[in-house]
Amino acid sequence: MGVSVIRYSPWIMHFNAGACNGCDIELLAALTPLFDPERLGVRLAPNPRHADIIVVTGALNKKAAERLRRLYEQTPSPKYVIACGACAISGGVFTDSYPLISRADRVVPVDVYIPGCPPRPEAILYGIKKLLDRVARGG
Amino acid sequence: MAELSIGGYSFREVGPRRYVASVDPGRLREIVELIVGEESYLSTISAVDLPKENAIELNYVFWSIRHRAALVVKTRVSREKPVVPTIVDIVPGALGGELEAHDLFGVIFEGNTRLRRGFLVPEDLVSKGIYPMRKDAGV
Amino acid sequence: MAVVEIPIGPQHPALHEPIMLRVRAEGEEVVEVTVNTGYNHRGIEKLMEKNSWVRGMYLAGRVCGICNAVHTQVYVQGVEKLMGVEPPPRANYIRTIVMELERIHSHMLISAVMAEIVGFDTLFMLIMRDRDRVMYLKELVTGNRVHADIHILGGVKRDIDEVRRDKMLSELRVIEERLKYYRKVFEEDYTLLRRLTEVGRIRKSEALSHCLVGPTLRGSGVKSDVRLDDPYAAYPEIPFDVVVREEGDSWARMVVRLEEALASVGIVRYALEHLPQGPAVPKAFPRAARVGEVISRVEAPRGELIYHIVSTGGGNPYRVKIRTPSFLHIINTEFTYLGHRLADVPVIFASYDPCISCTERVLVVDEKRGVRRYVSLRELARWGTT
Repeated sequence: MGVSVIRYSPWIMHFNAGACNGCDIELLAALTPLFDPERLGVRLAPNPRHADIIVVTGALNKKAAERLRRLYEQTPSPKYVIACGACAISGGVFTDSYPLISRADRVVPVDVYIPGCPPRPEAILYGIKKLLDRVARGG
Repeated sequence: MAELSIGGYSFREVGPRRYVASVDPGRLREIVELIVGEESYLSTISAVDLPKENAIELNYVFWSIRHRAALVVKTRVSREKPVVPTIVDIVPGALGGELEAHDLFGVIFEGNTRLRRGFLVPEDLVSKGIYPMRKDAGV
Repeated sequence: MAVVEIPIGPQHPALHEPIMLRVRAEGEEVVEVTVNTGYNHRGIEKLMEKNSWVRGMYLAGRVCGICNAVHTQVYVQGVEKLMGVEPPPRANYIRTIVMELERIHSHMLISAVMAEIVGFDTLFMLIMRDRDRVMYLKELVTGNRVHADIHILGGVKRDIDEVRRDKMLSELRVIEERLKYYRKVFEEDYTLLRRLTEVGRIRKSEALSHCLVGPTLRGSGVKSDVRLDDPYAAYPEIPFDVVVREEGDSWARMVVRLEEALASVGIVRYALEHLPQGPAVPKAFPRAARVGEVISRVEAPRGELIYHIVSTGGGNPYRVKIRTPSFLHIINTEFTYLGHRLADVPVIFASYDPCISCTERVLVVDEKRGVRRYVSLRELARWGTT
């Protein structure tokens, strides 16, 4: 039952873990009328307790990573994580810089990786759709 | 002009709209007071680690609206005892630059009560006493 | 007395670090603000010492996604001086076109965000829809919506042909009309006027002594713009107006930006109509710089952006110091919130254009009752705390 709720109306929480804002503005653009995310039922959650999907951008700055871990724990199950952009996937051009952990999946379990620097809004919506399809299949 | 004079200090031209003066740390506050007495603002404080000369060079870059030029005040401190007087009471906007140079290079701006480690640098490096921008920081 | 903590997630380029604003309020009145940083520190200056001059271009561009072309520009123009390389005039014009397109989209973005903060959701959506036209133009010129990556040492990577140029000119006409409309909205809408005027007023002397730059400085009556005072790229040859307002409040800062966006449309149009003949893409470029140092300055959408680059010869920089405008605006503006209401804090913060993204959240700690609550920045802006 919980799973089908997510399938039809996933609420996203966006977390910037040390990003250049490139992915953030494309994510923001993905939420505007031109790309129309609401046809997927996607909207921004006002706080972590209402979120179904956490979208992480940025190369996981150590301080931000602590916050992300706490936010992840505050989000109720079922919950999913999307690593959006090259930085969240591998650290991007900043890999292994001294203040970074570099990979989102070292901090929280990641379900979908959306590559790009930054990924286009269409790519972000496609990544969300892939996650929803997987959830619908029971994965 | 090849030279610009402010108070008793002489700035030499190093490029179009770029002037440089070198002073001892003891003279820093005096020259800063003179510069901001005219219409200008502190643009940045740039620290450069020079281990071969056992020094850290501080570049106080001002943009002078009056002279339509960048005025760079260079001063040097030793790496072992990198102490320089604060200018944050003369130029409140120097706060960010002093906090940054302290956290990344270990420069001590005497009189600035808000200096602290961890302004930018993550806790794991701070606890090891590492100043990441020094050439021998090992990060 | 409620202690309000505002964690602001995504930080702007400008900002090395996302910060947390800790606000102490007595009832509704703000009595103290301190800033906590470190969440977006990526160690870029150190990375630049470890990488080649060419790779530095890509690192510089990724300091900020919103104004990446100016970062690449300020880096490249400094390095070109150290290498003794002069880009051809056509390349300068193309660089200027990309930088001005970024100024337009950046100003539209913060206008949209400000609208959202005061509760004007429809305006947010409308501005974002029209902003996408500018992203389309960026894609037309550079191949990317966000990261232009169009600079190369000695020129640019791609040229603009007739077809693209005509398409851009026609799209610019539409963008100009929309910007004029949004300027009118900011000048006449009752809600925006009530929420923005007289809020966060900064006097001219305070702006200078706290080292504020860009639209924030120009909104407080100081005519200072790097494109005019310390010109670079194609700006010496392109006529444009520098926008200055005297009011010094949040409203003035927003209006300065919208007027600047309109001026930028004029600059792009002029540049497209007067593109110099000749090549824009260099055939080869040097890999090593001479010994020396350079102070490189540009006018980013948020204000003066300055790089100090030191070279000891060789293939890597010895030192690159990056000071973004938002670094100054986030840290040096603590004094501007005092005496205002809690609901004014997000408005003042956004008026500096620090690039807030959509996930800011406020932690409200009621010390007396021992209660902690998460409140979204949006809610705080609209209703304060009860």
